[in-house]
Amino acid sequence: MRSLISIFVLLALTLPVMAQGGNKIFPYKYSIDDLPNGLRLITVPTDYPNLVSLYIVVQTGSRNEVEAGKSGFAHLFEHLMFRGTDKYSAEAYNEIFKNAGADTNAYTSDDRTVYHATFSKEDLDRIMMVEADRFQNLKVPEELFKTETRAVLGEYNKNATNPVNKLFEVLRDTAYQSHTYKHTTMGFLRDVENMPNQYDYSLEFFRRYYRPEYTTIIITGDVKRDDALAMTKKYWSGWTRGEYKPQIPKEAEQAKELTAHVDWPSPTLPWVAVAYKGPAYSDEQKDMPSMDLISNLGFSQNSELYQRLVIKEQKVDVLFASFEDHVDPYLLTVMARVKDPKDINYVRQEIIKTFDSFKTTKVSKEKLEAVKSNLKYTFALAMDNSQAIASTLAPYVSLRRTPETINKLFDIYASITPEDIQQMAGKYFVEKQRTVVTLSNKEKL
Amino acid sequence: MGIKWVNVFLILALITPGLAMGQAGKGSPKLPMVLMPNSSPLVSFRFLFNTGSALDPKGKEGVAALTAAMLSSGGSRSRSYEQILQTMYPMATQFGSQVDKHMTVFAGTTHTDNLESYYKIVSDMLLDPGWREDDFARLKEDSINFLKVSLRGSNDEELGKEVLYNLIYENHPYGHHNVGTIASLEKLTLDDVKKFYRDNYTQENFVLGLAGGYSKEFEAKVKADFASRLPAGKASTISLPEPGKISGLEMTIIEKNTPGTAISFGFPIPVTRSHADWPALLVVESYFGQHRNSNSYLYKRLRQIRGLNYGDYAYIEYFPRGMFQFAPDPNLARQQQIFQVWIRPVEPKNGLFSLRTALYELRKLVEQGISKEDFEATRQFLTKYVNVLTKTQDAQLGYALDSRFYGIPAFTDYVRERLAKLTVEDVNRAIKKYLQADNVQIVVITKDAEAFRRAALAGSPSPISYTAPPPKEILDEDKIIESYKLVFNSKEVEIVPVDKVFEN
Repeated sequence: MRSLISIFVLLALTLPVMAQGGNKIFPYKYSIDDLPNGLRLITVPTDYPNLVSLYIVVQTGSRNEVEAGKSGFAHLFEHLMFRGTDKYSAEAYNEIFKNAGADTNAYTSDDRTVYHATFSKEDLDRIMMVEADRFQNLKVPEELFKTETRAVLGEYNKNATNPVNKLFEVLRDTAYQSHTYKHTTMGFLRDVENMPNQYDYSLEFFRRYYRPEYTTIIITGDVKRDDALAMTKKYWSGWTRGEYKPQIPKEAEQAKELTAHVDWPSPTLPWVAVAYKGPAYSDEQKDMPSMDLISNLGFSQNSELYQRLVIKEQKVDVLFASFEDHVDPYLLTVMARVKDPKDINYVRQEIIKTFDSFKTTKVSKEKLEAVKSNLKYTFALAMDNSQAIASTLAPYVSLRRTPETINKLFDIYASITPEDIQQMAGKYFVEKQRTVVTLSNKEKL
Repeated sequence: MGIKWVNVFLILALITPGLAMGQAGKGSPKLPMVLMPNSSPLVSFRFLFNTGSALDPKGKEGVAALTAAMLSSGGSRSRSYEQILQTMYPMATQFGSQVDKHMTVFAGTTHTDNLESYYKIVSDMLLDPGWREDDFARLKEDSINFLKVSLRGSNDEELGKEVLYNLIYENHPYGHHNVGTIASLEKLTLDDVKKFYRDNYTQENFVLGLAGGYSKEFEAKVKADFASRLPAGKASTISLPEPGKISGLEMTIIEKNTPGTAISFGFPIPVTRSHADWPALLVVESYFGQHRNSNSYLYKRLRQIRGLNYGDYAYIEYFPRGMFQFAPDPNLARQQQIFQVWIRPVEPKNGLFSLRTALYELRKLVEQGISKEDFEATRQFLTKYVNVLTKTQDAQLGYALDSRFYGIPAFTDYVRERLAKLTVEDVNRAIKKYLQADNVQIVVITKDAEAFRRAALAGSPSPISYTAPPPKEILDEDKIIESYKLVFNSKEVEIVPVDKVFEN
């Protein structure tokens, strides 16, 4: 009985997750503090007890891999960050996290690298201390560097068993000519294989990007802003601001539809990917939020196309749209797994027709409101603990360094009309901005 | 916004039409419940039926999972599945099922704004199913494609783990994948599913799990609904035989055109969460191979020092979909468990060396146990980590249902209290009692299966190939490992083409 009561008490303290009636979509009070060196701290106290989540967001990802032959480096660097400093070896670093009962990891995407941990609140000071140490004083000997490159190759190999990864890799390679979104975060296999020879570049990468002006610390949970700020000043003030600004190649306007096919070496169901060049993230213009709404209107589970292809005709068993927020213009992609190879063309055409329909037919207000409601509740339902709040914030913080961008974005969603949708469809869904990639295996499944 | 790429893989992993779990009822009081009311704006449901794939009749493997799929991914009598998706969409809610050997759970979370309408939909799905032929055809095909495409074709790691379970539990109610076999699925009919529903979806098998900001009135309404609309029926009980004995190293090599070599191995242990020695083995699991954690001992030896792969872990409970998530899903409670090691794909040239390293380390663990310092550090970790495991109300609800199954107190309290009393001697005694490295079932997935088989049986050294050699003491240890003697039971070493896996 006692245990049930303690759970009850614990849960009774949880905060309302969603703002009601005209309030902001991001409902938590937060503070932003900037250190003179450019480092930013965002503190979000919550009423979830005992735990804190620490997310360190570096505005560097595979987009920053501007030199030829260096694809996958931001991700490799994420691995290297766990290899220790003079003061704390990897072993000593790990011990501190083990002692804190921490759930800890990191990830890299096109635009960001995020180091995160969730642990007991009493361990925050120690963990801030060792995190500050590795961000300022990482020291990886060449042998350990080489060993870590093999773990990255292992990661490539485990990913390579899934055809979706290959489809995605070829899609980007086909769609982009000069921008670094041409390669995936994992990088091209040839570059991953060559990583052991790139030790010097790794030192350069650290000098360029592991700098306070690229970095934002998010702390959520059972924490007070004054304490978080004091720890940040204590451990991170000595970090020196850098000077490097990457020149990311601009992608020229696409001149014609691009296509590619992947011949998969083992039995699988075929895949079709249809992508259009879309806009960059914005919390001011309607373009990118409109694309979010269209990807839901056209391809989510309640869409006409999903219900027809997946449920009624049963020609497709997976169908989804993906339009992740990006610093630079990115692809709005629809992917479908087709049950019978003879339907590949049909499915491709139906996806294209669906995109085209937004240009010719105005969506109903009712459908548009259903999507807006879905986005609102999806956001609210996602934030049911301190770690989820920090994890939700991280991508936005990597784009604009403030949670306020979420409120601005949702205000734009609310303002978008059926006319806006039609106009944006006309602007983006044109044949010459399209890339289509298919994947299949010759053998019968 | 939009779907994140990481979710794409989760979607594919979960495309099995349904997720759930279960257990044998034991004359529990009417409509047992786990209730966790609080002031959250969210309400989480876990409708648990103590039935699952261990109850699949012979020749009908997969019927438990397909039944759950028909309920969670098919229409109710009043609404088609299309209408259900349309209605749920603005609420951004879902209703999923998970099927394991003894548990089938239907779970979903909704905002309190939408509580009444959400509950109306899902209660009809569970209590008044539509049984439409077109839903059945779609979900049956999804199930077959889950085995053929998602497991055989796209995820060597999960493939290896699931085949390992099938081999360890050959001729046993656990001996088939929860989704079924391809042969049995092809023969299943809608009548089979309806019969399974009638026999198993009963009050005797049911436990209601509810957490969040719901009212007393709502709770009463749910109780009344399930008490009146669910037939009393009987409990689904099953008495399990012991799993077959493993003699020596038994190995199945799955031949597949794939760039890496994936390895899983394990053997049964007579310890579940209800066993007095479970906390001791929990410490061993965490020390030796804490899931997706760089503090795992195996991770350090294989990945950190030698760069062999992406990670190496150990388990004392079934943990599916581990490549997509950091914490296990609750409601996978079982009456029997195995000890398992997961070696993530290695370069084929280092395949045999990697297997040798993991078995060598396991033997060392058995012979030497763990040190007092490692014991203390791991205990400290787990004492705090249980908070992380149960950080959402849905997880707390799931763990509470599992504790009910195992007959233990609330999970976090139980773990902390038992860990506090544990000694390093208890742990080392448990290691000696339950772990060993001689009689082990091994599954390898690799391109050149015959070469792997030959090299493994020949017993000749299998040196590691390095890009950057590690320190001398590791090179010295490599010399021992490359010739570490693997005593195979050669009658039980076989090669299976990937397209034969999950067939029967």
